[in-house]
Amino acid sequence: MTDATTGTGLPIAAARRGAGGSGPVLGVLFLLAGWELAGRLLTEAFVLAAPSEVALYLVRDWQLMLRALGVTLGNAATGFVIGNVAAVALAGIALLWPRSERVITGLGLLVFCLPLVATGPILRVFFGPGPGPQIALAALAVYYTTLIPLLVGLRAAPDSWFDLVRSYGRGPVSALVHVRAMAALPYLFTGLQIAAPAAFLGAMVGEFTGAERGMGVLTVRAIRALDVEMTWGLATVATAVAILAYVGIGALARRVLLEAPPVILAAPAVATGRRLGGWIDTGLVILLALGGWAGAIWAFGLNPFFAKGPGDVFDALVVAPDAAATRATIGAALTESAVYLIPGYIAGLLAGAALAILLILVPAVASTAMPLAIALRSVPIVTTAPLIVLLLGRGAVGTIFLVAVMVFFPSFVACLQGLRQAPGQVMAVFDSYAAGPFTRLVRVRIPAMLPAFFAAARMAVPASVLALTVAEWLATGSGIGSLMALSASLSDYDMLWSSVVLVSALSALGYVLVGAVERRVLAIYAPEQLA
Amino acid sequence: MAHDVTPPPEVVCTSLAKTFAGGTEAVRPIDLTFAAGQTTALVGPSGCGKSTLLRMVAGLEAPSAGRIEIGGAPPRATLRRAGLSVAFQDPSLLPWRSVRGNIELALKLARRRAGPSEIDQLIDLVGLDGFAETRPAELSGGMRQRAAIARALATRPGLLLLDEPFGAVDELTRRQLAQDLPRIWEARGTTTILVTHSVSEAVLLADRVIVLSPRPAEIVADIAVDLPRPRPEDAARTEAASALIDRVFAELSKGMAASNPPLAAQ
Repeated sequence: MTDATTGTGLPIAAARRGAGGSGPVLGVLFLLAGWELAGRLLTEAFVLAAPSEVALYLVRDWQLMLRALGVTLGNAATGFVIGNVAAVALAGIALLWPRSERVITGLGLLVFCLPLVATGPILRVFFGPGPGPQIALAALAVYYTTLIPLLVGLRAAPDSWFDLVRSYGRGPVSALVHVRAMAALPYLFTGLQIAAPAAFLGAMVGEFTGAERGMGVLTVRAIRALDVEMTWGLATVATAVAILAYVGIGALARRVLLEAPPVILAAPAVATGRRLGGWIDTGLVILLALGGWAGAIWAFGLNPFFAKGPGDVFDALVVAPDAAATRATIGAALTESAVYLIPGYIAGLLAGAALAILLILVPAVASTAMPLAIALRSVPIVTTAPLIVLLLGRGAVGTIFLVAVMVFFPSFVACLQGLRQAPGQVMAVFDSYAAGPFTRLVRVRIPAMLPAFFAAARMAVPASVLALTVAEWLATGSGIGSLMALSASLSDYDMLWSSVVLVSALSALGYVLVGAVERRVLAIYAPEQLA
Repeated sequence: MAHDVTPPPEVVCTSLAKTFAGGTEAVRPIDLTFAAGQTTALVGPSGCGKSTLLRMVAGLEAPSAGRIEIGGAPPRATLRRAGLSVAFQDPSLLPWRSVRGNIELALKLARRRAGPSEIDQLIDLVGLDGFAETRPAELSGGMRQRAAIARALATRPGLLLLDEPFGAVDELTRRQLAQDLPRIWEARGTTTILVTHSVSEAVLLADRVIVLSPRPAEIVADIAVDLPRPRPEDAARTEAASALIDRVFAELSKGMAASNPPLAAQ
């Protein structure tokens, strides 16, 4: 779930409260007990290993696991650094040249929406053997989640602080050093905190694509061999690493920062096309994306057999004699995927919001569930996707459930944070009329929750596509994820590149559409977010 | 003292006007000279354009028409020499720096030096002794404003601009500051422009009170305050001060009436 960034930061105050209480410990114990019970009941089904069996496996094969973990961690760390440096550099360009911000975020979104399932094999052909694809995918998984909070953070200082700097005759450099950089730090940490587990996930997905060593390689091997203990052992280690990375960066943030990293609900900066400038920016993004794509193929002198440019994709989809067949195949696969994606996405969002609302009415339970949910949000669910599908079957239920789970945690965490942000003074007014909890919920808390809900919904679009395509690739063998994997293995690169283009474009479109709905809602319920 | 005081400049505004991009006219063309080393108070109703006028003098807002000269040069030159300081209505303290850290940052930005003892003296002067290492979030609104005043004084500016500096300060501290602060800027001979709502504060602190009309700001009256200095705490209760206060009130009301005729007259 690492990539399902809602952009919402960890509430340090909540984590501090949670750290002192026994709530999270109880929650984890409860979870383990349920898992153990289910594992024992399902021993014959070969889908679920109980925690005790996983622990035994990890003790027995710790050397293998440690070696693989070392490799994956190394790749993830390299990708983490590269991706975040790129994010900082892009944010710097956007700051120096504000006109470029919408184009940078637009291009960033398009690249972020590339389906890792397909970019993995393409990068594998490009880089050949070695850690290249793993590092590249780790970098791709993190740069956007750092870029967006950073852009918000660099503008998060009030005008009067800049007036102060100017009143002493100092320019933009002093403002950057003394005001912007410091004001952006909490936002940077928010991004890094989400990026750390995402980098690990990216490296693992990169390893799925034919690496020699690493956790991803072992995962694929374990799934193919139906080695249930090993599969769950790997998922457990991946989860532990992701949670530790999340908590570790959170702890570092607490040491460095004075207060909690902010909850970032930045409205999408991507052009929604309402104004002429928006249309021009959108056109520019598309032109730059196509130019960069063709330019990269030309600059690296890539073999035209596998490296298909925009012209090739246009040919394959429109001009070629079999264009209609290609379109029909991709269309059918996309439809097949959409049937799982859309219900899963909506169910996950609504379930997250509903549970958050339910919990806010029972505050004692909320304080237990919150830290647990924040930790679970960083679980690399994609690596456990095959397991969930194994558990629930290859049919609709398993896949829809997987997508829903992917969307559920970010939605739940964001909504709970949003519900808690209900303005105290407004609540006091309702208290003064002795309004009941339900009235306060409907009139104050839910409207206050909406910005967080929509931020989660927007960021969940690419995340849910990732979850679905990985599940289709590794487990169900249907839909667009499977088509892309199949095309890669059959060297049908026209089909592969065409699918990549359509999936990315549709993901980005989904993101922009949710963003447009979000802006409409925020204009009513939280106009300050759009300022 | 560790550094020189910037010589107090004369500030000359010629046909100075401001209309915002949306068409809101904030300041009508104004000719105004702030004498070197004098304290001038700008008094007017809320939203009349006082702060806009001050921001233009500070070089933070570009005039739509007219020009400003500070010591014969445009504001930008004064800014570059760090010859002016502003205490903003919003204290604008950086939250990650202590009171001392905020003052030190101002010195750094102004490329000035001041010893720790000088900073301590200023912190004491504004009544924040014991809070030098405290961060703004732990201070009350009034304490933050006092820290901002200390910061503005620390760079020993030749021109000091105060925008409602006592807005959030409690009445008792306000009186004390009204006693202590003029001593500093008088001793240094600073040219001071004070924007305030409070008529008695204007009379007590200033050598001259400019009364402005409701927006767009125009000069309604220019009143010299010839009360002897130093002015003790009860100076506002003397007959001369009361007369001045009454006069400023009368001019303010006149300005209000001219722009908002009473209902009966409409």
